[in-house]
Amino acid sequence: MAKIELVNITKRFGKFTALDNVNLEIKDNEFFVLFGPAGAGKTTLLNTVAGLVMPEEGVVKFNDEIMNKVDPSHRNVAMVFENYALYPNLTVYENIASPLRSPLYKKDDATIDKEVHRVAQILRIDHLLERLPSQLSNGQKQRVAIGRALVRNPNVFLMDEPIAHLDAKLRHHMRSELKEMQSSFNSTVIYVTHDFLEAVSLGDRIAIINEGKIIQVGTREEVYYTPCNEFVASLVGEPEINLVDGRLIADNGKYYVEVLQKGYMLPLPENSGIIKKLIDSGTTEYHIGFRPNNVKYTFEKKEGLLRGTVYSFESIGNKAVLIAKIGDQFLRMIAPNDLKVKLDQDVYVELPINRATFFNAQTTQFIGTSDEAAIYRLVQEQLSKGVQ
Amino acid sequence: MRRKRMINNAVKNGLLALYAIFALFPLFWMVLISFKSDAQMFNTTFFFDPTLENYEAVLLRTDYFKYFFDSVIVSVIAVLISVLAGVPAAYALARYDFKKKEDLAFTILSFRFAPEILVVLPLFMIYQKIGLYDTYFGLIWVYQLITMPLLIWVIRGYFEDISVEIEHAAMVDGYTWWQVFLKRLLPLIKPGLVSASLLAFIFAWNNFTFPLMLSGTKVETITVASLKYIASDTVHYGQMAVAATVSALPAVIFALLIQKHLVRGLSFGAVKG
Repeated sequence: MAKIELVNITKRFGKFTALDNVNLEIKDNEFFVLFGPAGAGKTTLLNTVAGLVMPEEGVVKFNDEIMNKVDPSHRNVAMVFENYALYPNLTVYENIASPLRSPLYKKDDATIDKEVHRVAQILRIDHLLERLPSQLSNGQKQRVAIGRALVRNPNVFLMDEPIAHLDAKLRHHMRSELKEMQSSFNSTVIYVTHDFLEAVSLGDRIAIINEGKIIQVGTREEVYYTPCNEFVASLVGEPEINLVDGRLIADNGKYYVEVLQKGYMLPLPENSGIIKKLIDSGTTEYHIGFRPNNVKYTFEKKEGLLRGTVYSFESIGNKAVLIAKIGDQFLRMIAPNDLKVKLDQDVYVELPINRATFFNAQTTQFIGTSDEAAIYRLVQEQLSKGVQ
Repeated sequence: MRRKRMINNAVKNGLLALYAIFALFPLFWMVLISFKSDAQMFNTTFFFDPTLENYEAVLLRTDYFKYFFDSVIVSVIAVLISVLAGVPAAYALARYDFKKKEDLAFTILSFRFAPEILVVLPLFMIYQKIGLYDTYFGLIWVYQLITMPLLIWVIRGYFEDISVEIEHAAMVDGYTWWQVFLKRLLPLIKPGLVSASLLAFIFAWNNFTFPLMLSGTKVETITVASLKYIASDTVHYGQMAVAATVSALPAVIFALLIQKHLVRGLSFGAVKG
């Protein structure tokens, strides 16, 4: 129940810069996801908000109030730690009750009992209340850790990979539970994850962070359709986006990009605005991103398609990932699970130039997408609905 | 199969019993001779006319209880000070990063390396000069050399085994630093604290060199006072046995009281996980 603001936060551990001039504004009641690879600084950022880590530079504000000098206990934040951090000598019940017994947030015994049971029920650990943490599985420990946060009514929930160690089914359950809880509690949540699915399914907005820097902040559509650079593009999306080298070629007033093989030209859609952007970008060398679900393939020889060989075929649940090798480039694409395919057999691939994302080959920065108008509409739609 | 296991168990228990006898026999012997008169000391083994003469001579006719309480005062206060100063020191060594941390930790440990006899002479001269000779304070201070390093190193290990996130979690839960320490950390290091304190107490209680050299007649610990039962012409083994038996009691009682923690304490901090 607070707006959180981070201004110019820099945090160093010795010579290592964990957070590098981070600026973030997290709105009241927002479910904000911090998404990035391991070692990106996600946990440090969370600890900074909690007051467990003191930044060398910058200001942390809750509701426009500067919190730098306020110690963690007085910030009224609830935190779920990645390694659970349960008190090993206390039962599950006492672990969950711990915040409600502290001098600052003290409640009477009846309230504590009610709250602990309510939370335990949501997390499905009500049968474990008398156990010690050493008698729990990792998934159960993690739920106790979540429970310890949920009994409170804090300014902000800070969750550090809270469901990473749960089994798939429970993770799914907890994901929807967390989302639901957040909307019914009216509370701000900062949620750290390295799982793309969690990030897009939970986050009202997603901040992508790498090497201590915030790379991009946006809704799931923004980071998915208009990633600000190749790093974001390859981080968001599963399987990973295909990035291929491309070159701009002008011929008789028409524009093409040459990809993968010499002479393999894809006509750029006219009137899409992308041509102007590519010309204005000051380079003719691009990395062009194609999402695997847009790449089409066939096993029959067809003119105008790229010929490759099947490199691998791997099922990922209700669908499969087919990887084709063209020259020394690998292309990932989505295929149905029951596809009959032999390794090394020929496959013909069509690259959907109308759904392509262009990056500057030198700087890896985003230039534009070929279906800009459609995406612009989509993003606008999201923005006009407002962030819930 | 079952027969084999039974034989196995019998052999195991037999060996353990043998070891128990081996370990306990000196104590048993000590208690035994404390009941022997000087006349029967050398010509009887297990069968003799038990007498309380030695107890009477030691406990009633000498200042035995004064020595006993001198020992109690010096050892207990020395251990208490070590706990009060050592636990925060151990916490700092486990948690904070500061310059020369490992050097400092090693220096503390190295106090235990040098034989006491090596440092006691210079200490004797210093104590004489600054007026600490033959005082409670002087002995308690020098006992820190014995009790503190042990305590710091054991407790440090315990603190290192507690993940720092547990402290963070408690702070976020709304506890101040002191409450975190007392309510969340202290219960976790209790086994180590108890076992290290007991060991420190035994070391302090049994120390001989320091009280022999650094104190005279005003403060006399039981280890030094026991020498008095060696007379100029004869050694009163019976009386010495009484003095030793009674002086062993505090450590035994202390150990029995905290046995529950002790067994756990010696195994808990050792293994990570």
